[in-house]
Amino acid sequence: MFNYLVRRILYAVPILLGVILITFVLDNVMTSPDEKASRVLGPKVMGKARVEWIHNRGLDLPLPTQFARHLGKLARLDFGTSWQTQRDLRDVFLTGALPSLLITGPGFVAAFCASVSLALFQVFVRNSPLDRGLTLLSVGLMSVPTMVYVIFGQAILALWLSYFPAFGFSFAGFGTVRFLLLPVTIFIFINLGYDARLFRAIFLEEINQDYVRTAHAKGLSNARVLTVHVFKNGLIAIITLVVAQVPKLVLGSLLIESLFGIPGLGSVLVQAIQTGDQPVIMASVFLGSVLYITGLIATDICYALADPRIRLS
Amino acid sequence: MTNFWKPPRQMDKSVSPISRPLNLFRISDFGLRVFLLCCAFALCGCDNNPNPPPYHERRADGSPWVVRYASLVSDPKSFDPQFAYDVTAQRALEPVYDRLLDYHPMKADPFELIPSMLEEIPKREDAGEGKVSYLCALKPGILFHDDPCFPDGKGREVVAEDVHFSFQRICDPKIESPFYEPLAQRVIGMREARETAKDAKYDYDKVRIAGFETIDAHHFRIHLSEAYPQLLYWFALHTTTPMAREAVEYYDGLVHDGTVRPSIHKFYTVGHGPFRMKEYVPRQRIRYERFDGYHTSVFPSDGFPPEKAQWLQQFAGKPLPLFDELHFAIILDTIPGFVLGRQGYIDGITANKDAFAAVVTRSQELTPKYKARGLELEKVMMPNTFFLSFNMQDPVVGKNAKLRKAISCAFDVATYCDIFYNGVSPVAQQLLPRGLFGFDPNYKNPNGYDPEKAKRLLAEAGYPNGRDAKTGEQLTLTVEEPADGSELRQRAEYEKRAFETLGIKIIVNENTHARVLERLEQGSFQLGSGTGWMADYPDAENFFFLFYSKNFPREGANYCRYSRPEFDAAYEKMATMENGPERLALIQQMNAMLDEDCPIILQFSKAYFSATQPWARWTHNNPIMEGGFNKYHQVDAAERERLQPEWNRKPLWPGLALGALIFGGLGYAIRWNRKSNV
Amino acid sequence: MSFFYHWLTQDVLVIGAFAFVISLLRAGAKNERWQRAWLRLKKDRTGMIAFVVIGIYLGLGALELLQIPAHTGGSRSILDVLTSGIPNERTYSAPLADELFGSVRGERLEGHHLLGTDVLGKDVLVQTLKACRTALIIGGMTTAIYIPFGTLMGILAGYFRRWVDDLIQYVYSTLASIPEILLLVAILLTLGKGLGTMSIALGVTGWVGLCRLIRGETMRQSERPYVTAARALGQTHWKIVTRHLLPNVMHLVLISAVLGFSNIVLAEAILSYLGVGAPVGTSSWGTMIDSGRTELSRDPLVWWNISAATAALFGLVLSLNLLGDSLRRAFDPKRG
Repeated sequence: MFNYLVRRILYAVPILLGVILITFVLDNVMTSPDEKASRVLGPKVMGKARVEWIHNRGLDLPLPTQFARHLGKLARLDFGTSWQTQRDLRDVFLTGALPSLLITGPGFVAAFCASVSLALFQVFVRNSPLDRGLTLLSVGLMSVPTMVYVIFGQAILALWLSYFPAFGFSFAGFGTVRFLLLPVTIFIFINLGYDARLFRAIFLEEINQDYVRTAHAKGLSNARVLTVHVFKNGLIAIITLVVAQVPKLVLGSLLIESLFGIPGLGSVLVQAIQTGDQPVIMASVFLGSVLYITGLIATDICYALADPRIRLS
Repeated sequence: MTNFWKPPRQMDKSVSPISRPLNLFRISDFGLRVFLLCCAFALCGCDNNPNPPPYHERRADGSPWVVRYASLVSDPKSFDPQFAYDVTAQRALEPVYDRLLDYHPMKADPFELIPSMLEEIPKREDAGEGKVSYLCALKPGILFHDDPCFPDGKGREVVAEDVHFSFQRICDPKIESPFYEPLAQRVIGMREARETAKDAKYDYDKVRIAGFETIDAHHFRIHLSEAYPQLLYWFALHTTTPMAREAVEYYDGLVHDGTVRPSIHKFYTVGHGPFRMKEYVPRQRIRYERFDGYHTSVFPSDGFPPEKAQWLQQFAGKPLPLFDELHFAIILDTIPGFVLGRQGYIDGITANKDAFAAVVTRSQELTPKYKARGLELEKVMMPNTFFLSFNMQDPVVGKNAKLRKAISCAFDVATYCDIFYNGVSPVAQQLLPRGLFGFDPNYKNPNGYDPEKAKRLLAEAGYPNGRDAKTGEQLTLTVEEPADGSELRQRAEYEKRAFETLGIKIIVNENTHARVLERLEQGSFQLGSGTGWMADYPDAENFFFLFYSKNFPREGANYCRYSRPEFDAAYEKMATMENGPERLALIQQMNAMLDEDCPIILQFSKAYFSATQPWARWTHNNPIMEGGFNKYHQVDAAERERLQPEWNRKPLWPGLALGALIFGGLGYAIRWNRKSNV
Repeated sequence: MSFFYHWLTQDVLVIGAFAFVISLLRAGAKNERWQRAWLRLKKDRTGMIAFVVIGIYLGLGALELLQIPAHTGGSRSILDVLTSGIPNERTYSAPLADELFGSVRGERLEGHHLLGTDVLGKDVLVQTLKACRTALIIGGMTTAIYIPFGTLMGILAGYFRRWVDDLIQYVYSTLASIPEILLLVAILLTLGKGLGTMSIALGVTGWVGLCRLIRGETMRQSERPYVTAARALGQTHWKIVTRHLLPNVMHLVLISAVLGFSNIVLAEAILSYLGVGAPVGTSSWGTMIDSGRTELSRDPLVWWNISAATAALFGLVLSLNLLGDSLRRAFDPKRG
């Protein structure tokens, strides 16, 4: 198992290098050093001050040298500073991760439970009009753009009914919960359609397996077969599927956070994109791929745990 | 623990930046937390107040603690007075750092300076050979806020040497102060001081600024190489505020004895103003608490606007600030500001373009619903002017004044302001905004909207009906448009359509605001949108220098690349002159020249309505120093407590209906399932 | 460049694209598996309804895509000609209202608008219909970029294995490891805004999933006897790929193309919200929803803009998703 893990991690290194190269190239094609200076110092600062700024930061060096420096910085977990707020990005990411997780964590768990229950229910009444209706509903939920959920959720529940704060966030012990309820609810709706449909397909596949027929032959009731056997086996398949998403939760949900003013990484990103805050975008790309790769490795481990044969290959 | 910073005293000893957020996970048993969280769902879910509880319930003397809730539209870029140049930073810094001079809070037309940390407005002294100097006297007894950087943690008195230190910092190349160039042009010795620090560090002990003469603890004199009346306006900017050297050296952003001292450049302040910054959480809030040792200024007793004079009289001469805690919510979006205002959680409703119709009627009064709530409407006129810039070096538009005028005449600014500013922002008729010396309320822009004239001019310019008279080809112009966000996009579309009424073709080049500026600087554009100027200080020089030929980018902001020797001569003369009839004549000449050459299409000066809550009537109506005027604000906390719950009633029926729907649906499903399984 | 902007070129391109797709489908219809699938699909009611709805969207998009010369010079789309009777107002007006809405001075409208007008006074119904074109262009161009590329890469990787597979896998794992939305934004900020660049960006991120799918299927197919037999007979790689492998994975390509199209339409909406979407002057559902967001804080409410765009977008995406599902069922009835 250990060897397997090491192999997986070593395999990730060239991928990470590729990602860094891509971001570096994009970063340098996107903006000239002069534009970078203008972004940080503001449009009213010109001339010599800018040249000095560029020189001090080594932005006038040849690109390979800059790339080497860039790698060195990343190795030291130095992501640079935001153009917009001048904050150290490592700090930005560390402080932003928690609010993001507070939304996506509970949201993820709740959406998972809701989707699994719905899928199981559909499998229970499979091929009935209700099942077909619910499948249609799932596809419908999938077909709505994310921001429409957020916009209408906010407009109805926060603006008209005053149930939840329309905007804002603060750490206030349990008081924090009031800022989370609405975003989490919306998070569930955004994911419900896709997940429920997927999980339903997985459960249906399980139900056609031989062991189910055997169980039926033994005289077990329909409900029991479903809730015990199918559920257990299907869940393993589902979990290996969703494990890859877990590390990504740190990055938060872009639209939810920005529209509710949750100071997580998602809203940092949206703001960065809208203002063209390049260091933030580039650092997030790097961070995102690290998380993605972590997720893949976690998935592989899950597979390996579930099926020991894989470890040998 | 979750705050971005707190003063070091309150920090855990062991914290390094990495371990801080993780601490939260080990506060208590996870399972217990989950359980309590579930309980809290029911309890907290039904409160929609996003503000954190105030620092105290009552003051030391037992009277109620009063908080003012305001908002900022973005994070400040820096808290360093010598570096920060954005509006948000200015608003965030001004409560903490008093200025040497202030603007009068009630006099906005024209703007007027009043003493703040100085005893009186400095008098100009002529020193011969065109040189001038200003003798300044600091008020005695002004204290820095208490802070660990001072001995015993007690704030010391502000002295003249602290002002000198600020000027040194402006010269320090490490600070990269944007204020260096304009000041160093006139203040003797600043250039020399900066030269000494070219490679090495700036030596604050040895390198003094020759033009800054410290007379004694409270008196100093500034020597200028030429007359420069605008220096006094610089005294009213946060950049010349006295700084404590102890604080700058103490808060260096490094780790000392295991604790991180936040950097004064970015996230810490040691000031001497009416408030001290207690907490800054990026993208959430900045909170201030009153500074008890503040005695620098009092509420003014003159200049009250007549309609409020009686009410304002009660504050005249009162010690400042009038409330105890200042809370800036950082709201990056336009909608929540309005929503929170409507719910009473912010003390002023800034009516954005869309929310406007909800608050203000067509005759520009409050709507009945809001009038009944007791809101008050304030119209705020900003000292700025927005315009579109032509590139005077462009082969097509640069050489053809008639074409420029035709395009200018085709642009319907009134409708533009109607759509995007609900008709509140006035159409700009001249370069200078209201409130500045030289502004003429009766002046009419000769290149204003006139579709007939536009068509005629276009034909005269050689493009009848938008087609080249010789080749018959359609005239195509490229407009640089900043377009992040839906509103800017709509504006861009409006501009495109307005110009296309002439029969010419407009290509819109969309970019982020920074990219547009970059193109303007490079000169690779024909027509640039989204340009304009916000007064750094209310003086005509600060606007006309945009067309001075020695201010071409990159050194200056003459994006049009407008160059006319007569204009330059008039500008040079006008720039250093005291206000008077002679200066006015020069300004009129310059206006006429700009109208003749039409390097810009004037759009509007920004104005907006701000609806203030009944408990927080505005005591000032001066937009030039929004942060600094916080000390004059008043809040009636009891009234707020009474009204807030009234405005936030939560109807029950939707919840009940939803519950009924879910249970009904479930019951139906179960019954159906039973039937089908039988 | 002006050659591409000429109306005749554009018309030829549009008609060519439609003709190409139809000929592809007809070529596919010769395949026995496809014929069976078609028979099954015909019996699937939801699938057929979705099919018809998509056809309507295509027709509406074509109305706006096809240009005819205008008498003033230049060109106008057929939709412009059909709707030329609808005047522009100054700003908002409610559906079927006859007075201007929410402006400072109340004014009579110049015409009637079934779905009202937007902030610049444009008819919302016309804008919504025009936005079909934007969706079709982005969807079509992206599909044209990523489908051939992804399929080719997938087959190469699955058929040749060894280093070819390793290389292709490396490239797509690297791309896949970057969060999609960020890669899109980064590419768009580099290339600049526009429908073309957006299609390129979406294509770059889009081919990964398809490539992975085709690679797996190709691997499975190459183990089959008919491929090993072809190899034993000494057929060229080219022949094996085009004659045997390609026809057997094409149904997966079709399903992915349909489902991918719906994702592209949704992605356009999100990119427009982030401010890197459709350029100024191009109607798109994403920009309409984005501007509708602030309009929801108006009182009285401006709901028609956002609702029209959402409904139109929803209709297309839902139909695409349903059709994709039906196709999947039709091609693989056991797993449906």
